[in-house]
Amino acid sequence: MLPSEKLAIAAHLHVLLRRKTGRVTDTEWMASNADYAAEIVRFAKASAQKDGHADLAEWAARLEGAMTATPPTAPLAKRLFSAAEPAQTGAPAAPGEAALAQGNAPSRYIRGIR
Amino acid sequence: MHKKFLRWFLISLALLGASAWAQAPTQPAWVAQDTINAADTAWMMTSTALVLLMTLPGIALFYGGMVRRKSVINTMASIVAITALVSLLWFAVGYSIAFTPGNQWLGGDDRLWFTGLNYLKESGRVAVSHVAPNIPESVYAMFQLTFAIITAALVVGALVERMLFSAMLWFIGMWSIVVYAPIAHWVWEPGGWLAQMGALDFAGGSVVHINAGVTGLVCAYVLGPRKGYGKEAFEPFNLGLTMAGAGLLWVGWFGFNAGSAVASDGRAGLAMAVTHMAASAGAMTWMISEWILRGKPSLLGLCSGLVAGLVAITPAAGYVTPQSALLIGAVAGVACYWGATGLKRWLNADDSLDVFGVHGIGGIVGSLMTGLLASHTISGVDGHVGLQLIGVVAVVGYSAVMTAALLWLTKVIVGLRASDAAEVLGLDISQHREKMGT
Repeated sequence: MLPSEKLAIAAHLHVLLRRKTGRVTDTEWMASNADYAAEIVRFAKASAQKDGHADLAEWAARLEGAMTATPPTAPLAKRLFSAAEPAQTGAPAAPGEAALAQGNAPSRYIRGIR
Repeated sequence: MHKKFLRWFLISLALLGASAWAQAPTQPAWVAQDTINAADTAWMMTSTALVLLMTLPGIALFYGGMVRRKSVINTMASIVAITALVSLLWFAVGYSIAFTPGNQWLGGDDRLWFTGLNYLKESGRVAVSHVAPNIPESVYAMFQLTFAIITAALVVGALVERMLFSAMLWFIGMWSIVVYAPIAHWVWEPGGWLAQMGALDFAGGSVVHINAGVTGLVCAYVLGPRKGYGKEAFEPFNLGLTMAGAGLLWVGWFGFNAGSAVASDGRAGLAMAVTHMAASAGAMTWMISEWILRGKPSLLGLCSGLVAGLVAITPAAGYVTPQSALLIGAVAGVACYWGATGLKRWLNADDSLDVFGVHGIGGIVGSLMTGLLASHTISGVDGHVGLQLIGVVAVVGYSAVMTAALLWLTKVIVGLRASDAAEVLGLDISQHREKMGT
């Protein structure tokens, strides 16, 4: 599933949660972090069961499916390898540069910000 | 004839000594308002504002830009709360135990609750500190307060995104009294044991930066890493904010270092010049190091490098020539780059925003190089690397042990870490019920 599709589901769930439970969520983080998404899904399902919001349960299930779906991108090791390859200009590429350019979570920020 | 001359000599010596004592009090005292130097006072009030500006909004922006979006508000709120909390504690206890004569380990209780920091209009008298006899003591106490604030605020960089807000307040409050104030007394009050030994620290290389760096490292070890550390990418919220914060730090540091001359004189002017040169050299050498080793120079690297240079020149600012400052800044840029990358991996602690890598390492480099490069012609004193090393070891040891003890105490009182769910959700919502805008 594309990141934009995940984001659309997360945005829909964000609005439903706000309206029906008053809970404020981080849409972008929900679409990118599996742990956070799982917690929101758990909360949404619990609220749906407690208060009888069928649509909330439906969108929670959609998000759950989207977050567990296999991403179409190449394996992490391959992405890391390609990111470390030298750029066309001849200058050595920084680790995670390709990921940065694609707007994905860059590997350069793993284990340290500098 | 010989005896007569000897008697005259001894009387003259005694009078000279008494006169010198009258001019340079050894404890806080009342003086006539017209003995206060207006230029010095104006510069110190300006410096006080500059140093506060380094924290609010300097550090808040610098750190706030580097954490993840879900913890920006918590980071900024921590800085604001620390400013208020440390101010009240400094007023109540900190200033007195740091800057009044007591014994060589701790100051006295004369100035608890700022008692005696008065200005009496009718009799034309004002209180002055023996450390800064040309300016009102109220100004000196406020100037030193801004140092206490920024030192505590620096520690936040090591504990972001996982520490309970309440725990942070308990810890920093106790730390400000139990760790910061005594070390300030050792180094800056003339009766302090490191001051008497001759260890040099012009504006806080050990008191502020080594102290904050070591505290940050111990916090990082005791708290443990953030969830996902080493596996997930922790993308910074907005490096533009970090750059704005770094700019404010650079400008504010003129008050920090040149203000530490406690006068608007030639030494303050030189301190300002060396501060700027060291910052520039630090930015350049960090940038070059990163360019060579990583292939690209980053904005965060430039900002970190300038801070590294500023940190390292801090203990040396009133003692070294501009040429020496260039060397200190250049060495610090490389050393701190290593501190925030290679050393960080080796230490294996989630010192999240590299408080030890930049402030700890920069402070150690600056303190030792002060011993090596201090110029007698500028300050009238000579540096000694051995004495500087003793100062470094003392501050590292005391800061580390007491920080660990205070974290243990904080854990007993309120706990230390946010729950896993609160951490995943983000501290902005879980601790403050607020969220950063888009």
